[in-house]
Amino acid sequence: MSPLRRFLRMPEALAGTAILAVLFAMALAAPLIFPGDPQAIAGPALLPPFQDWSLPLGTDRLGRDVLAELFHGARTSLAVGLAAAAAALAVGAIVGTLAGFAGGLVDDVLMRITDAFQTVPSFLLALAFVSAVGPSLGVVVVAIALGAWTGPARVARAEVLSIRERDFVAGARVIGMHPLEIAFREILPNALPPVLALSSVIVAAAILTEAALSFLGLGDPNRVTWGGMIAEGRAVLRTAPFLSIIPGVALVLTVLGVYLAGEGVIETTAVRRSLS
Amino acid sequence: MSSPLLSVSGLTKRYRRGGKTIAAVDNVSFHIEPGETLALAGPSGSGKSTIARLVLRLVQPDAGDIQFKGEDFLALGGATLRARRARLQMVFQDPLAAFNPRATVARVLDDPLRIHGIASRSERPRRIAALLERVGLSPDLAPRAIHEISGGQRQRVAIARAIATKPSLIVLDEAVSALDVSVRGQILRLLLDLQREERIAYLFISHDLGVVRAIAHRLVILDAGTIAESGDARTVIDAPQSAIGKALVVAAPKLDRTGP
Ligand SMILES: Nc1ncnc2c1ncn2[C@@H]1O[C@H](COP(=O)(O)OP(=O)(O)OP(=O)(O)O)[C@@H](O)[C@H]1O
Ligand SMILES: [Mg+2]
Repeated sequence: MSPLRRFLRMPEALAGTAILAVLFAMALAAPLIFPGDPQAIAGPALLPPFQDWSLPLGTDRLGRDVLAELFHGARTSLAVGLAAAAAALAVGAIVGTLAGFAGGLVDDVLMRITDAFQTVPSFLLALAFVSAVGPSLGVVVVAIALGAWTGPARVARAEVLSIRERDFVAGARVIGMHPLEIAFREILPNALPPVLALSSVIVAAAILTEAALSFLGLGDPNRVTWGGMIAEGRAVLRTAPFLSIIPGVALVLTVLGVYLAGEGVIETTAVRRSLS
Repeated sequence: MSSPLLSVSGLTKRYRRGGKTIAAVDNVSFHIEPGETLALAGPSGSGKSTIARLVLRLVQPDAGDIQFKGEDFLALGGATLRARRARLQMVFQDPLAAFNPRATVARVLDDPLRIHGIASRSERPRRIAALLERVGLSPDLAPRAIHEISGGQRQRVAIARAIATKPSLIVLDEAVSALDVSVRGQILRLLLDLQREERIAYLFISHDLGVVRAIAHRLVILDAGTIAESGDARTVIDAPQSAIGKALVVAAPKLDRTGP
């Protein structure tokens, strides 16, 4: 059975993929369906959902279109989640490969740094970083990656430690290959699968962290975010709970989708690897 | 008299295992002349692979001296060592483990040509095809992945990679042990042809005295990291003096005493 067929047979994986597909469609379509500024006033304030079909999910305290905000928020969530996870995986893979391959003092220093980053709770780290540097999309991405690269670094290092003893690495040394080329061209690609297996968890965590930062008002002020929407809705939680519930549900579904689809991919590739 | 190609003296390597130190290689000395085959034989754990790794500078010895082409090989490091490696190559026992699992045949042969600046980028495909033909393979194999060719073909690719840089010495650690008997004969013949035509010396590690007798000029028999006896390969195999030498000859399956 092909990996794709096996993947399609897992209902959880399919559900996760469906959620992600909708999410990506929302993110991509946002500027087409809602071309204007999503933060502009679109109607009367606090219009409940399903009342006016030009504003299907109603409006918030300032009369902004909740559906438009939801679509544009999907863009931010996905962009930040994917960028932060990519940065964390790249940094982690590079640090882990250098530590595992070089060994000795380099390994000690790099792993001590990794320990240091790991002891600080990643959310506090992100909070401190954004507070110090100031909120913008790039800073939020770096702030989240700062607390997320240590896991990939450890996994990459462990994998590199076992790969570097294999004959093909000795073979690369015998033909006179430069150590950096051995580390990054021969070893790293072979160490990558277990590192990439962490990506779904990291993306999901990054999306949550972004939402939490935005909730605390530390997101990019020029962008709509789900975390920011929840924070907005909190003030009118009793009278208009939908303002918090709608972005909250979107967030939960997104994290769930990322996680389920990611697990599906891991499971299918793990089976394939054990078969080969 | 010219100096030998490789001369090893007092080579010692100790490993610490569970508190006590064992000498995997203990005060071993030998030399190899240009174009000569020296075999290393001995029971499992006698230190054959460790010697190979020491000679190739894959591990550092605890004591001893290695002269290669009249140069103190142990004193080399960094870029100088990497450059000198062109002259000293290796073929591993398991041809599948010896290559990056993601590599293709072409990439495996491209690496040494690129690293040692032997051929320009545009010239390399032609050189790769020539190398494949040199070891009796079709150049059509070049785009194949390493795991998509047979074990015998893979060992030929390993030999092609080893000769890509025109080495003076190739270390072969059990290079034919994993192969079928028929394939083994072909590979041995290829090695003999290459040696005759290019005057390559071999450090040939094997526990199979039949193979040793067919290919080696001289033989060193190791026991627990030390040299038990050494001499002309056929003389030693036909009349071993040491206890371990006698045991190895007895254990050898239907030793072909007529030679190739
Ligand atoms: N990295 C290492 N760490 C600890 N001990 C080692 C290491 N490498 C080799 N040894 C030990 O050194 C001794 C010699 O090993 P070596 O691999 O050289 O033997 P060999 O003659 O090649 O054996 P075989 O015929 O089984 O390949 C063995 O006792 C082995 O356990
Ligand atoms: Mg061995």
